[in-house]
Amino acid sequence: MKPGRVIGTVTLSQAAPQFRGARWLMVSPMGPAELTGKNPGLSQQSTPVVYDKLGAGLGDEILYVEGAEATQPFDHPIPLDAINVALLDRYTYAPPTV
Amino acid sequence: MLHARIDGYATATIAHPSLRGQTIVLCTPVDDQGRDAGAPFAAVDPIGAGRHARVFITTDGSWTQNTVHDTTSPIRNQVMGLIDSP
Repeated sequence: MKPGRVIGTVTLSQAAPQFRGARWLMVSPMGPAELTGKNPGLSQQSTPVVYDKLGAGLGDEILYVEGAEATQPFDHPIPLDAINVALLDRYTYAPPTV
Repeated sequence: MLHARIDGYATATIAHPSLRGQTIVLCTPVDDQGRDAGAPFAAVDPIGAGRHARVFITTDGSWTQNTVHDTTSPIRNQVMGLIDSP
């Protein structure tokens, strides 16, 4: 489960049938600088598109899962590899400063 | 298994049902010397590791599904054990 910040949404006119009614988020992965607040902006990492059933909005911090586990919540096969699993309320991230 | 250090905690009211009641920790992968070695990630922690504790973490989703008793759970990282001395 990786932390990320929602920076946009994606609408698809053409998509695989399994994705009918799906909602997609553009997520900026959060590294150490973003989690500690040193960099309130975007990280340098690439932006995955993440399937969303929880209703994340712009600027929300989320946890998303990549890989085969992303297809677990579905009872039918689906060509998906990134899904939003949590909207973060509060989080602390303070690595040792030594 | 990933060797990591617990650096933070997170709460999420709106989440996949299998996350409800689980402690979510933010971890940083570390090498054998304890130096940071990768991007931070979140994991489910059923054993209650303390801050800056060094732990090893499984990335096996099917194992975590047993812990959270939900076969539809997409969670994949779970704290498996506390490292006393590396």
